[in-house]
Amino acid sequence: MRSVIDNDYLTVVSRLLIGGIFISASIYKIIDPGAFAKTIWYYHIVPGAWINLVALVIPWLELFCGLTLILGIFYLGAVFWANLMTIGFIVVLASTIVRGLDIDCGCFRAAQSATEPAWNALFFDVVMLVFTVQMLLSNSRKWRLQRSG
Amino acid sequence: MVTRQAFLLLLVAILFGLVANLVSPNRIDFIGQYRDLSDGSGPVVPPAAQEGDPPFIDINVAQFEFSTGTSLFIDATEPEEFECGTIPGSINIPFEHLPDDLGTYFDSVLQGIPKDYSLIVFCTGEECDLSLHLARNLQSFGYTAVSIFFGGAREWEKSGFDMERRKRCGQL
Repeated sequence: MRSVIDNDYLTVVSRLLIGGIFISASIYKIIDPGAFAKTIWYYHIVPGAWINLVALVIPWLELFCGLTLILGIFYLGAVFWANLMTIGFIVVLASTIVRGLDIDCGCFRAAQSATEPAWNALFFDVVMLVFTVQMLLSNSRKWRLQRSG
Repeated sequence: MVTRQAFLLLLVAILFGLVANLVSPNRIDFIGQYRDLSDGSGPVVPPAAQEGDPPFIDINVAQFEFSTGTSLFIDATEPEEFECGTIPGSINIPFEHLPDDLGTYFDSVLQGIPKDYSLIVFCTGEECDLSLHLARNLQSFGYTAVSIFFGGAREWEKSGFDMERRKRCGQL
């Protein structure tokens, strides 16, 4: 099991996959923070006064997290945020299902209407978590620009 | 090491987020003016609301209109959700399944209803914007007294008013 987790190729695939997902998920949110803020509002989790600040910061955190994962710099910090954000998304999506809310997750695009089931996004995030946890546990340091840390 | 790197990444993200917003053509206010949740202190107005939209009404006005019986309540949600629970006496116009010829459709569904009759459009709850879209369409087809109860069936039920249920389902 240890050898699988530490596998250099698996680790680099995880980095590219998760990094790419975070980067692509951040683009529309950075371009149109207003649309992302509306998506956050529909979740009814963030207090009203904080919604815009969260909508401005999270996409950039996703972008830098994705870039640093792929490049292998500030790697431990990037892995930390990748895990924390993925767990956060899972908790938020699960809470919408528990509360019976029926909303577009707004993960990769602005929410167009309130019809997309959260189950698909939740499943996607759980699969993502497998890869982020693998990066967290892996001791592989290959193909990183910054070997230390 | 982890904490330092994580903190640095967050700091850079905050910095870029705030600075980028200053120069972005899609700039937004740093502090949003959003209503948190329906608490009976006024109508719920979604961020997607625009100037020219039908007026939004709160639970008190909705209940008043209901008790006077001078308005038609229209539920914009899916038929399955409509059957799970709605405001008594409502009709269902599921916005997601509207035909192309909207004018003829509205006229047939709302047969005998004068164009200036009070129509109150709602949906499941505050996460659902189908009521907003349906109300805009009704307005554009000449219905002049359309209003939106955005708190929807959930706020109605939370306020302790009776619901009409055609089948047993989970919580709305």
